[in-house]
Amino acid sequence: MKRAIPVVALSVLGLISVWRYEPSLGPTETTAAPDPAPSASAGPPGSSTVIVEGTTITTEKGPVQVRATFEGDRITAVRMLQQPNHPQTKTAVPKLVAQTLEVQSADVDTVTGATITSDAYKESLQAALDAKGG
Amino acid sequence: MGFPVSLRVDDEDVPERAADAVFAWLREVDERFSPFKPGSEVSRHGRGELEPHELSEDLVEVLGLCERYRLATGGAFDVRLPGRGFDPCAVVKGWSVQRGAQLLRAAGARRFCLNAGGDVVASGGPWRVGVRHPEHAGRLCTVLELTDGAVATSARYERGDHIIDGRTGHPATALLSMTVVAATLTEADSVATAAFAMGAEGIEWAASLAGCEVFAVVAGGQVLRTADFPVAEEPSADV
Repeated sequence: MKRAIPVVALSVLGLISVWRYEPSLGPTETTAAPDPAPSASAGPPGSSTVIVEGTTITTEKGPVQVRATFEGDRITAVRMLQQPNHPQTKTAVPKLVAQTLEVQSADVDTVTGATITSDAYKESLQAALDAKGG
Repeated sequence: MGFPVSLRVDDEDVPERAADAVFAWLREVDERFSPFKPGSEVSRHGRGELEPHELSEDLVEVLGLCERYRLATGGAFDVRLPGRGFDPCAVVKGWSVQRGAQLLRAAGARRFCLNAGGDVVASGGPWRVGVRHPEHAGRLCTVLELTDGAVATSARYERGDHIIDGRTGHPATALLSMTVVAATLTEADSVATAAFAMGAEGIEWAASLAGCEVFAVVAGGQVLRTADFPVAEEPSADV
């Protein structure tokens, strides 16, 4: 059991550092702090709902402002009041490039295409490439 | 389903039997997985003659892939269409050719190009892979460069309206061709067929998959491709 003591002590130390840790929301911390600051408005009477509007923060992508709703000391909703109109803030939609259909001839090693039957193969580009390769 | 297979191996120290092993494997796949052979494992499974414990590991793997893409496409890709037998060819082809490429690697091949009926596994490139033009059989619509990876194309121009949108039961006709580049042919071939079955919305679906690059020709002749589709440098003057 001797060994258990330093382990327990370490665990306690670990816990203390967790307790001491205050969640940081980064640059938006000031806006979401559970401090009924001047910009806060009380919710409906009889409830502990507090709505806090953050200040507008300018980021390199544009202005950001959030509104956080607290039930007691718990955040129950966060709404973006302002957000940059920037692709990164939207859902990751694949970026597609549109172009016109070209007709090319070029030196290639092989050809991809819809599955061809053995008959069609005789006339295909791939057959020509295979013949060239010997 | 008969299709031509072309194999080019540039490593000098790879024995001929490595290539023989690839072709033997593909013949074995045809025997076991062809829905056109009444005695194949696939046909027997399709007729409900096999108990779950009688399925081979390979067939279980194929069934898993089929189900994965059926779910991912909202049923557009379906290997069990009403009125048709169980036909997992769209998955089996890419999966089996990828396995063939792994046999080559295991035998020491590093620089090779395996083309099975238009589906390509490339290793140790750069390899220049032409994409067949959907309207001109002898021409290309783009050229891509592959170092290590796979590319597959689904289209109607060779075998007609053979890809059915499982949601409607009708042939998928919104796309002229759908070419997908991925790390393995298992993925490239399945995704190309599944996206083709979905139609126009299949372009965004395939493009959103991590590791997939897409080159789609829409009916009418417009091309939509992902920004990172590996288009080869302009061909040199010897065209």
